[in-house]
Amino acid sequence: MGVRRARALRAVGKAILLIVGLAVSIFPYAYMVLQSLAPWSEVNRSIVPTQLTVRSYDWLLHGSAIALARPWLRAFGNSALVTSASTLLMLASALVVGYALSRLRWRGRDVVNQVILFQMFYPAIILLVPTFLVVRQLGMYDTYWGMIVPKAVNLWAIFMYVSFFKSIPQEVLEAARIDGAGELRIISRIVLPMSIPITAVVGLFLFMERWSELLWDLIVVKEYRMMTLNVLIATMSGPYATYPGPLYAASTLLTLPIVLVFVAASRYFTRGIQLVFK
Amino acid sequence: MRRREEMRGWLLASPYLLFSLIFFVVPFAWAAVLVFTRWDLISPQRHWVGLANFAEALASPRVQAAFWTPFKFMAIFLPTVLVAAIAIALLVNSLGRWSGLAAVGFFMPYLASGVAMALVVQGILSYNSPVSDVFFRLFGDVPDWLGVPALAITVIALMIAWKFSGYYALIFLAGLQSIPRELYEAAAIDGAGQWTSFWRITLPQLYPALYSVMILAVGLMFGIFTEPYMLTGGGPDLATHTWYLEIYYQAFSALRAGYASAVAVLNAVAVFLVLTVVRRLMEWWGRATGWV
Repeated sequence: MGVRRARALRAVGKAILLIVGLAVSIFPYAYMVLQSLAPWSEVNRSIVPTQLTVRSYDWLLHGSAIALARPWLRAFGNSALVTSASTLLMLASALVVGYALSRLRWRGRDVVNQVILFQMFYPAIILLVPTFLVVRQLGMYDTYWGMIVPKAVNLWAIFMYVSFFKSIPQEVLEAARIDGAGELRIISRIVLPMSIPITAVVGLFLFMERWSELLWDLIVVKEYRMMTLNVLIATMSGPYATYPGPLYAASTLLTLPIVLVFVAASRYFTRGIQLVFK
Repeated sequence: MRRREEMRGWLLASPYLLFSLIFFVVPFAWAAVLVFTRWDLISPQRHWVGLANFAEALASPRVQAAFWTPFKFMAIFLPTVLVAAIAIALLVNSLGRWSGLAAVGFFMPYLASGVAMALVVQGILSYNSPVSDVFFRLFGDVPDWLGVPALAITVIALMIAWKFSGYYALIFLAGLQSIPRELYEAAAIDGAGQWTSFWRITLPQLYPALYSVMILAVGLMFGIFTEPYMLTGGGPDLATHTWYLEIYYQAFSALRAGYASAVAVLNAVAVFLVLTVVRRLMEWWGRATGWV
């Protein structure tokens, strides 16, 4: 009886811990969504509003006589464009470069691998100002290129692929070569299908970090119409502070795509995450 | 045949090589010159000032404030995030079939944009909020959350801890899952209770994960930007002023490219020194407890 009771007690304790922990994890998201749907007189005054309204979203899209309308929808599009272009470029380059650095024999390979390690640990903050100068010199200031090109190659992603590709058996690649397949074909037809879980997880991390980037996008963009949603919310939180409702609505729009991408990738999440945190 | 393979290697690595040339080698060289100059990013005049930028930065109250801020964050962030992450990892690990789903739930905070979460925190702590209501009822007054140095530091450190607990928990979880079962079985035979086997087996076996998380968490504290930028602007009284805020402000508001780059170099030196100390301490502690 005593053992049984202790076991039951432990199960109840675990359930309580789990519920409290998950509630703390989810609460800010719930708060944000609820406030974005609250009547303006109730925003930030109660956790659950007495009624729901889409006024904040409506106001985001059409503005009002009092405040300047800002291109919120366009900003969302900017974020989507910049993030998907960056993420795809980072994944594609990491796939090809990682393959060359792990499965091809060439003289410069080991040196390049060493250099990548050095670069990964080199403090990127020192490069912030000169990178901005390079981007400006190339005529990319206040353009999409300025947000995409400097974030088109990711060292961590290359590193992840290099360590993963070492587990692919050499025979598979040799067989394809004997059949006369070129390297790019081998990568797209054999290597990529074998690395779906790690690609999903690495892609998720890259997407998330690029989508939430603030510092770089703040520096490289001047005009409202070029801003990503993240930057627009950040620059608006001052004068807009009297309109917290629309800001919550904008934040909800900002959060939605990441959650959707995460849900889409979560099938591979538990499997892929072990590869990432080895 | 060998020559072709050689060519292929260089060719497939070329996206990285080209990118590194433009966005690493060139900025690297440029930074090495910038730090010794005074330049406003616009005019053609650049003055060679030698080490004056470094001398000025070291004497600047703003840089000194930025130097101490990471340690103030650490005092709150490290204990909170370590306890939370280990607790989450143990909990998730004991769930069996549901552990994958729970891990996904606890990972959710990591997805949030700092900008969105800063708005939420600002809202929850605002003057008329339900939280303020509770304080009014209990004490008749509301703390000025972002206006008092100690409170502003605590709010920001806890925000970052909320974001990273689930993420670090995954590292601990990987550590937990690599502990051989035989160790626990042997301990059970020796009559060890759960508590004893946690202290004698689980924690020592988690040492490698703890080491990685410590390095990540300490390094993170030197690169904070979004939260203070959104919530405090580095205030009150430079209490939450960070390295990145200072670099951003000097380069893009005060237009001092050379000075900002010099501050960035000091930031890198500070991170390197502190991480070296952390590594040494972790190794010494691991040997002292016999965990390594």
